[in-house]
Amino acid sequence: MTTEHRPHHRHTKPTAADGYPTATSLIQQETENILLEHGLSNGEPTLQKNEHLRFLARNMLQGFPAQYSSQDASQPWLLFWTLQAFSVLQVGLDPGNRQRAVNKILAWQHPKGGFCGGPGQSPHLLPTYAAVCALAIVGKPGPGGGWDEIDRAKLYDFFMSLKQPDGSFRVAEHMEVDVRGIYCLLVTATLLDIVTPELVKGTATFLASCQTYEGGFSSASHPFYSIETDRVLRVPRPNLGEAHGGYTFCALASWVLLQNYLNLDFSSISGPGDQPESQWDTELTRDKPEIDVKKLTRWLVDMQGSEIELGGFKGRTNKLVDGCYSWWCGGAFVLLEALGVGGLQNLTARDVEVDDIYSQAAKGGKGPAGEQTEEHEGWDDIDESLFNRKALQEYILLAGQHPAGGLRDKPPKAADSYHTLYCLSGLSAAQHHLYPSHPRKAQTLSIWKDDDSSSNALRKAIFCDMISWVEEEGTARIIGPATTNRLNATHPLTNLTISHTEGIMKHFYGQEVPPRPIPKPTGTKKVAKS
Amino acid sequence: MSTEDQDKPLFSELPEWADVVPIPQYETDAPIAPILYSVEYKDATDYFRAIVKAGERSARVLQLTQELIRLNPAHYTAWQYRYETLLSLSSSLEAELKLTNSLTFKYLKTYQVWHHRRLLITHLRTPLPELPFLNRCLALDAKNYHTWSYRQWLLSHFIDDEDLWKGEIDFVENTIADDVRNNSAWHHRFFVVFGCGVREGEEDRARVIKRELIFTKQNISLAPNNPSAWNYLRGILDHNNLPYSLLTQFVKPYTVPLNPNAVDIVDLENPPPVKGAELPCVYAIEFLADINEKAGDKESLLKAVELWKSLANEHDTIRRKYWEHRVRDALQSPASA
Repeated sequence: MTTEHRPHHRHTKPTAADGYPTATSLIQQETENILLEHGLSNGEPTLQKNEHLRFLARNMLQGFPAQYSSQDASQPWLLFWTLQAFSVLQVGLDPGNRQRAVNKILAWQHPKGGFCGGPGQSPHLLPTYAAVCALAIVGKPGPGGGWDEIDRAKLYDFFMSLKQPDGSFRVAEHMEVDVRGIYCLLVTATLLDIVTPELVKGTATFLASCQTYEGGFSSASHPFYSIETDRVLRVPRPNLGEAHGGYTFCALASWVLLQNYLNLDFSSISGPGDQPESQWDTELTRDKPEIDVKKLTRWLVDMQGSEIELGGFKGRTNKLVDGCYSWWCGGAFVLLEALGVGGLQNLTARDVEVDDIYSQAAKGGKGPAGEQTEEHEGWDDIDESLFNRKALQEYILLAGQHPAGGLRDKPPKAADSYHTLYCLSGLSAAQHHLYPSHPRKAQTLSIWKDDDSSSNALRKAIFCDMISWVEEEGTARIIGPATTNRLNATHPLTNLTISHTEGIMKHFYGQEVPPRPIPKPTGTKKVAKS
Repeated sequence: MSTEDQDKPLFSELPEWADVVPIPQYETDAPIAPILYSVEYKDATDYFRAIVKAGERSARVLQLTQELIRLNPAHYTAWQYRYETLLSLSSSLEAELKLTNSLTFKYLKTYQVWHHRRLLITHLRTPLPELPFLNRCLALDAKNYHTWSYRQWLLSHFIDDEDLWKGEIDFVENTIADDVRNNSAWHHRFFVVFGCGVREGEEDRARVIKRELIFTKQNISLAPNNPSAWNYLRGILDHNNLPYSLLTQFVKPYTVPLNPNAVDIVDLENPPPVKGAELPCVYAIEFLADINEKAGDKESLLKAVELWKSLANEHDTIRRKYWEHRVRDALQSPASA
């Protein structure tokens, strides 16, 4: 279950400056000197769980210090980061504080749909994601529970009001377009069962246009329109900004979330002779959009800092490592699993129809599913991840923790709520190996209850895919003392725990999910009143 | 709170705001996870909520939103409401741009200040003075994401403005010369040369590609361990569907230890590594392995595997898993059979 932490000789070779110093190499060198000191730890790197819990509890119960006024328009984020950090640390809230949290979140819902950065502000895609995910953690069905108070019809209208002719979305009325907003919209719509072909048409093409020559994704692209047809041209569609870890996570997660729509839309719904139906058809709308997964993988792998940087991730080429990219880049590797890159399950044939797997499994025969299961036995000491899971854990444990509690970008910076969650989520992603399991998807399909909704096929596919993520037993890799350092696994698409993701989806889709193998220790600890 | 603000009266103390009833944020006294606001911030937001609720569009709204934006430049609703108010009052957008200039310098890392600028320039259609302004911003922060993406938006939005575009290649050349490792500048170069279609004077693509290859190779020779330049090199070839093997001769000297006895030669096509170069260079080894993998014959493939193994075990050990994956991937492909 756990791996040994062998004291080892750390390579301390500085990043080569080739005798040609520039601003970039100088600050790089400074950073390496600081990190090197932190790398010289004695004993096992240990997660200071109690300090972090105190940091989170202080913010939640006593309040955020005045400097957090700069995040007054991100109140749902402050709460989400805090609640989700508790969840990753395997701690739940008592019913009284859960209810207080639900009440506060509902005060952010705008009468016209969507959630705002705070009461009396405007609805915006980013706080909408944070509010809905926070409700997934603390809410429940029924009056006052928070879930049934979400106005999904108005939320859908709000989403549609932000849609642009190139398939993208503004984050709020008059505001900017970028892939963060698309990620937030798609996660929310997926959790709440309001994805429709109308909502997402053209969005995948937009995302694909944000991939840069480096392989990662930029914030957005700029559309040009054909004079004759007034439709978006496929080229040129230049990137706005360079490849960036945060945007790459958002674009990749969005891309994965759109796969079911793409598969349905481009196989059955639209034939080659179809006329463009809506303004979101691009000039070459019948081409299924593509991204370069190999290039993306190469770029992501390259974002991991070397030994002297303690294996932390950076967010752009030639920038400094920063704890938050532990999730944005480290977490992105988990998403690559959904596209068939890396991972245990990819060593068996992937082009088997899910229905075949299911029917074979149902018959108990030695179909592809049976073979797959067999081959996986005895693999627990093989780590097939494409990034260095051990080194990333070391960065977070040695450099990411602030001695006074909370986690951070890098020493000697202060801790904050944002870095606390994304360092912990990144640590979790480095500990646990999740992948979308074909057998679990087949099981979920088998218990799906059909209804007469017009988008039944799409809903069904989306639901079953989200539920299919599992952790292969015995593949956890935990650096340091396992009982202390072990975190809950998070769902790679939502950054909620698996059980919170499944809980809210079961409710909104009106479906059941197959039982899971009993997870190891899960949190029922209560936050101490401070 | 800066000291200069301390003597400023609160909105609740100003007679011209006496007709407005401020709206507190939460109905309950003890919400969970509160922010412990300063008195000034609470005062400004209480009045802002009242204004928004009443739908007031007036000069004093501009005063209030400016104050609030100074207290919290990420308050997107304040920006949004301010923009709508400017339009509904037909206020001078030139004056607003001036104000935005000083706010931009102050809050360089804020999304909203840059988007507000975009909205203004979309109305004003005055892109040219933006360039010197952006240069001043880059002097403060040479890799600021917002500044660069704004510059790229500006050039895209005014794609036919020859005056706007004519100095861009020189600009990016200078920026890369300032710091050859500034990846934002390399990305901008790709945007200018390949991202926006073919400009007048650049129709001879063979000449453009040759120019770009030479420029990049020279910069690699100056500081070989620079991923920005190698990525750009790959970008040129990928974008134009050219084989990496075009550069075999150039790449090879970077894949081995520096030869101290090498004679100084001027070879524009294949500039050699400079004296201080720390070789072998990981990016060069990777590049040479890619060339070998593509070659298609068994011998080259084995050469690629050898190079990947040297990365995994010696030169780039942090990425061992990835290099092993490349080995597996290549050996499983049909070409290796």
